[in-house]
Amino acid sequence: MSQSIKQQNTRPQWQADLYVYFRGRSFVIQVVLFILVIVASVWSLMVGAVSIPVQVTINTLFDLDGDQQKYIILKSRLPRVVLALLTGGALAISGAIIQAIIRNPLASPKIIGVNSGAALFACLMIILLPDIPASYLPLAACIGGILAALIIFFATFGRNLSGVHLALVGIAVGFICESGVDYILVALPTHEIATPLVWLTGSFWGRSWTHVYAVWLPLCTMAAVGLTMAYRLDILHLGAETATGLGLNVQVQRLALLLIATLLASISVGVAGVLGFVGLMAPHIARRLVGGNHRLVLPTSALVGMLLVVMADGAGRAIFPPIEISAGILTAIFGAPFFIYIMLTSAKD
Amino acid sequence: MTITLTNINSGYDGFSLKNISLTIEQGKFTALIGPNGCGKSTLLKTIGRIIKAKSGSVKIGDLNVLRERPKKVAQTIAYLPQNPEIPSAINVEQLVSYGRAPYQSVLGIKSARDVELVDEAIHLASINDLRKNNVAELSGGQRQRAFIAMALAQDTPYIMLDEPTTFLDIKYQYEVLDLIKKLTLKGHTCIVVLHDIAQAARYADNIVVMREGEIYAQGSPEEIVTQKMVQNVYDLDCLIHPDPITNTPIISPKLSN
Repeated sequence: MSQSIKQQNTRPQWQADLYVYFRGRSFVIQVVLFILVIVASVWSLMVGAVSIPVQVTINTLFDLDGDQQKYIILKSRLPRVVLALLTGGALAISGAIIQAIIRNPLASPKIIGVNSGAALFACLMIILLPDIPASYLPLAACIGGILAALIIFFATFGRNLSGVHLALVGIAVGFICESGVDYILVALPTHEIATPLVWLTGSFWGRSWTHVYAVWLPLCTMAAVGLTMAYRLDILHLGAETATGLGLNVQVQRLALLLIATLLASISVGVAGVLGFVGLMAPHIARRLVGGNHRLVLPTSALVGMLLVVMADGAGRAIFPPIEISAGILTAIFGAPFFIYIMLTSAKD
Repeated sequence: MTITLTNINSGYDGFSLKNISLTIEQGKFTALIGPNGCGKSTLLKTIGRIIKAKSGSVKIGDLNVLRERPKKVAQTIAYLPQNPEIPSAINVEQLVSYGRAPYQSVLGIKSARDVELVDEAIHLASINDLRKNNVAELSGGQRQRAFIAMALAQDTPYIMLDEPTTFLDIKYQYEVLDLIKKLTLKGHTCIVVLHDIAQAARYADNIVVMREGEIYAQGSPEEIVTQKMVQNVYDLDCLIHPDPITNTPIISPKLSN
């Protein structure tokens, strides 16, 4: 094959590729999504038991206005919005990674047992250690999610962590955990059920800056690692044999990526409760928008996840103030019809 | 350089390759044939280190394939599985460019050379018109050529294909075989598992016959494709006669009653 590299074009290839990307459809879609996320976040700051006009909200954010609204916006609503962005993005990236590895459109963080493991541990903590304050719930949930995922990994490791086995073992572990949750919910006295129930539906109620401080760094780090490994997902998506032939250590890469996905999902579920649908839906929407290149799919799906969760949280406060509807319920109610529409209009897969 | 296998033992739980030693010549089209379950796919995967050999060695010149870094192996041998999984929402050009992965960092940033080789591979496989088509929407023959182009973009001296003609209409089978022949004429060493004895005899320079995890025979098509071989390996009574066009052996089974 020819040895000489064409010299007429002095621009390095990556610059040319970046230029193509900035001129392309995917970039426009990502910019639009980004703007929508900002708008939805500001809207979410405005709505709730006390609604605050746009001008006042923006002034408060840039420290221009008096401290009347400061408490509501900065102390109560802003941490919720930040958490919604973090967990929405994290769950979406987690889902996209899992779908790429398991090669199954039904895959989501739920399939590696994260949701049910987290739910079981949260409920266990509530009945076994009633004296510990509820602010430790996220920690217990996170540990439960990771444990469930580890059980599933170990059970399937010898089998290449391949799609079908992973999914089946995941479903089985999920069932066990869910029966545990059901048992606890039935056994608990009625007045104690409220805490786990609200948490189980996925809600940002009562979340504060303390929660944000606890999760932002691990979530951002894991998301960044996940994003840099996006190209590996493209290769893994070609199947184990082809990926091995292309020089990838498939076992190690799958395990590393699944661990990232597990951490992202467990931490999110820990702090926000079971927002199960985001991890399934956001990657599908993203793939429909930008195609199958994971370097585009991961960021796009993070933006979609952020948008979904911020809107769900805002809407939950806006619909019947001062009563709140859980974000998890609303992501499902708003997301599902859109999801079904997308599935019905997509010809293939 | 020739590929040299020495005392290879390999395989899955219920099946194994037994103590295989074999040399495969450089720049030739070598066909692996044998009945189902004889181990020809396993042998191919073992050479390309898709599955790990239990013992023995695979050497290409100084390169110890079984101990080398995965990327280095992928820069030397391209392997195309029998049923490559079809990626969703990926176009042909993207698929072919994945062939450059062994030369790229984690981020998969392309160099000018990558773009050049992807272009070359696409032209060689005659799929230039399909560049922007979704791989999932291609016909069987087009898809197989797209995957072969991916293997070509890997720019390796050795190319291994596992039954590349299975599931293709007859016209596309010959298109794919012609393409592989073209690659050997360009200096690539191709090792191809084939199902059809006549096709192997027509296209291959060398044929390796396998039976029950062992090498039964190796040699030129005329030496290999004999009544006795077909009887012993495939348990089929047949007559051998020359192909009217290429003069290579083809088989006609005798009636069973």
